[in-house]
Amino acid sequence: MERKVRGFVTVAAFLAAVLMPAAGLAQEAPATRDTQPAAPASRLWLVAGGASTTMRGACQTCEEDTPYRHSGSVLGTLGYRVDQRMDVGAEVFWVPAETASGRIRTTHVDAVAQFRPWASQGFFLKGGAGMAFVRNWVDAVGPDALNSKALSVVIGGGWHFRPASRLGLELFASQHAAAIGDIKTADADVPDVMGNFWSIGAAIVIR
Amino acid sequence: MPIRILALTAAVLLSQSPGASAQNATPSPDPDPSTLCAACPKRSVGRAIFQTTMVNVFYEMANLVRGQVTARITPKTWWNNMENGWVWDLDDFVVNQVGHPYQGSNYFNSGRANGLSFYESAAVAAFGSSTWEYFGETNKPSLNDFINTTLGGIALGEMFHRAGWLVRNTHATGKGRLWSEIGAMALDPVTGYNRFRTGDASRVTDKPPDLVPASLDSLVSAGVLWRGSQSSAFTAKGQPFLEVDALYGDTNTGRSRTPYDAFSVRLRFGGGSGFSEARVRGRLLGQPFKNGSVHVSVLQSYDFQNNDAYSTGAQSFDAALGGMHTFSSNTSLHVLGWAGLTVLGAVDSLPLGVDERPDEPETPPSGGQGVSEGPRFYDYGPGSDFGGVARLVRKGRTIAGFMYEGRQLYSLDGVRANHLLQRMRVDALVPLRGPLGIGTSAEFFHRRSYYQDEAHTIKTYHYPQLRAYLAWSGK
Repeated sequence: MERKVRGFVTVAAFLAAVLMPAAGLAQEAPATRDTQPAAPASRLWLVAGGASTTMRGACQTCEEDTPYRHSGSVLGTLGYRVDQRMDVGAEVFWVPAETASGRIRTTHVDAVAQFRPWASQGFFLKGGAGMAFVRNWVDAVGPDALNSKALSVVIGGGWHFRPASRLGLELFASQHAAAIGDIKTADADVPDVMGNFWSIGAAIVIR
Repeated sequence: MPIRILALTAAVLLSQSPGASAQNATPSPDPDPSTLCAACPKRSVGRAIFQTTMVNVFYEMANLVRGQVTARITPKTWWNNMENGWVWDLDDFVVNQVGHPYQGSNYFNSGRANGLSFYESAAVAAFGSSTWEYFGETNKPSLNDFINTTLGGIALGEMFHRAGWLVRNTHATGKGRLWSEIGAMALDPVTGYNRFRTGDASRVTDKPPDLVPASLDSLVSAGVLWRGSQSSAFTAKGQPFLEVDALYGDTNTGRSRTPYDAFSVRLRFGGGSGFSEARVRGRLLGQPFKNGSVHVSVLQSYDFQNNDAYSTGAQSFDAALGGMHTFSSNTSLHVLGWAGLTVLGAVDSLPLGVDERPDEPETPPSGGQGVSEGPRFYDYGPGSDFGGVARLVRKGRTIAGFMYEGRQLYSLDGVRANHLLQRMRVDALVPLRGPLGIGTSAEFFHRRSYYQDEAHTIKTYHYPQLRAYLAWSGK
């Protein structure tokens, strides 16, 4: 009998030792919630990352078949979280490319909107438009770059890991277009030039 | 109804409370608009994307039935398109500036018909447009089509969606109800189809509160116009026209965060071509200042003009400043000025040395039916725009109007030039009996093109226009 009582007390003490802190925390939790209300979620949307980019500048009316070039690229976005599904902001996408015949540096500055069809899932679509600035040393007339401004359009999509957290990671694929118009080279004016940039990359996301 | 509005208001306010903001940090189940409003469609992103794809399949099949070579798509053409990237296309002006935006409105309304918000549906329009360009045709994906389909589709789509809800009489039953639903479906086919499919087309409910305008004004005018050019003052032969102006809500008052809760529309038939003008200007944001005497807004615009003298089109976003001055209890002056960016504009043009557009060849294109081989007699490019309107209103009816708009386009594709387009219009209306009135208007379209040739050639064109019309104004 005494052993039974001692066993009961031991189990009760063990349960008390295990459960009391939890019970205490459970009692403290409302107090904490009352005294320290959760701060409103930040509206900041920040993305920084890099990508592997394949690009091709082509002239629509030319017979010549232009090559694809490969390069690394850098992406940065600063924006505003409209709601759980929509972010809007300004994006900078920089692609420096070294070729045998010279350098080409393209900077896209776009207004972008990113949409997650399902708020609890990481899948997103992105689109935007703005301007592209192209510095081109290929077939340049002199040592200075040929500078062109272009209409820029971007579409893309990807997957955002940890979409509910402030800090996350995204994998993305995107296509940028730079509609340049005409460019002057050492040989001749090239009409109707369009640059296409296909990228696959990863970025850190802060929301 | 008031209880419903209160419930909706409470729901909106609660959703914006700090507590709700804090909860935003963790994902919550997608809100279903059908729980807020009996007539609202059930939210389904998956169905919106599926129906957008079905819209593409429908257009693809239609092109295939018409015998278009561009509809013979295969996985190889898809890969070729993905490999090639964006280009400018050589299609007809009306196809690019009206056809593609209309197709885009179907994509957009696949979103709206499935309970998605305006901005979510805008993403659906971009999805439908890009998938069409890459996978719907053998043509290389066209950048101008993508922009026109997406932005024009958003503007036309929301306009048609809201117009459909104006036509729909959700309190009626029987034949009257059926015809109102059919009429609405003609404007917004995807929403109409979904309502018939789900049985909503026969259910008696209130309309969704956010799709009921605060006010509605319209002016229908029919008459004759005479257009001149720089070489002749006016053509002797008048051209009949029918013009419809509608003002949904008031773009010049109130705080607004609901896109297109106020917009203006102008459609003109005849007067130089079968369909000669379309304009939709919708408010995305609105904020009053100084007790409402000054109003700041952000607008999205879709513009199209096509007649026997000139053709222009544009997709643009503007910041606008508006106000109203009251002269008496009956008379007031409404003023709105704007300036902004044209994402992509189009204007007819001829290369230097060519004074007249050559006739279209009657032989079919060598690439097959549906393949545009050019030449194309209009330019594409981004730019800026600015303008203003003033309306003198007496007893709720416009009796005089003034409009000026300017647009600068930097041509990226087509003839290398900077185009400055200006248009001014003055209207005077005399009320007759009831809603009837007679009116006259004078318009002046002026265009200056700065060619980027060695000689820096500048060419100027102008087209004056006079109109006389019978008007019917409705409220």
